[in-house]
Amino acid sequence: MSHTPFILASYLISTVVLLWAGLSPVINKRSLLRQLKNRQARMDKAQ
Amino acid sequence: MNPIYLFFHKTGSPPWFYQFSGKLIPWLWAGFAILCAIGLYQGLLIAPADYQQGESVRIMYVHVPAAWMSMMIYGLMAIWGFIALVWRIRIMEVLIISSAPVGAAFTIIALITGSLWGRPTWGTYWVWDARLTSELVLLFLYFGVIALYNAYDEPRKAARAASLMAIVGAINLPIIHFSVEWWNTLHQGSSIGTSGNQIDTSMLWPLLWMAIAFKFYYGANLLSRARVRLLKQDHRKRWVQDLLAEENS
Repeated sequence: MSHTPFILASYLISTVVLLWAGLSPVINKRSLLRQLKNRQARMDKAQ
Repeated sequence: MNPIYLFFHKTGSPPWFYQFSGKLIPWLWAGFAILCAIGLYQGLLIAPADYQQGESVRIMYVHVPAAWMSMMIYGLMAIWGFIALVWRIRIMEVLIISSAPVGAAFTIIALITGSLWGRPTWGTYWVWDARLTSELVLLFLYFGVIALYNAYDEPRKAARAASLMAIVGAINLPIIHFSVEWWNTLHQGSSIGTSGNQIDTSMLWPLLWMAIAFKFYYGANLLSRARVRLLKQDHRKRWVQDLLAEENS
């Protein structure tokens, strides 16, 4: 039995999981900052 | 004031923590990238194949450090949970809930890579062996902490419930560690320990590089998540308003 597919699959899945876990706070931060800035802009306009 | 006390005192302040962690994160990512590159180079290209496991031993360079991380992170969550419950330090509460998804990610990696290693070595992807089952329970505990936290609207109440669950769930850590000694398992015992190592240095080094790299990854990821959570919780406070105004200007 060739071990190569198992090794490749292990490293590929690990990379995907680590990328997902690493990128999600970056995406969340961008979305949160956009929300907060929009809210601030709306408040400034209302005043 | 003693510089160490002063550091811990400052860490309790969200604005200071936000600024300090922002400076630290790029260095942690850089450390992770360098150590991971060294570990992968040694593990995939330099280290020899095992005389019994063959080439599949290369899966160990990601499986073992991920399994170590899954336990270490839960242990830290339990310690921080205790501190959060006793001294009510909000940063600790933020660190617990920010750690849980990273710990779950490492547990998923440990379970999947272990399963992929098991197929060529044991002839099966999964057995209900004590080590594998207790590691799966650890994944459910991580999910439990995340779900419990999200079940509350008030973040501080949510953090207290999550802290309690992290502390109670820590009972699973010695079960995972000693499962290979307490029960007759298919999973082998520890090859690395305080009483000596049973693996050759050519295989030990890539394992250690990857283990340190994962710690850098955890640090960077944890601080990134904690910063977002602090911004979310404090979005009405002055320091966040000032930060936004600074970014807009």
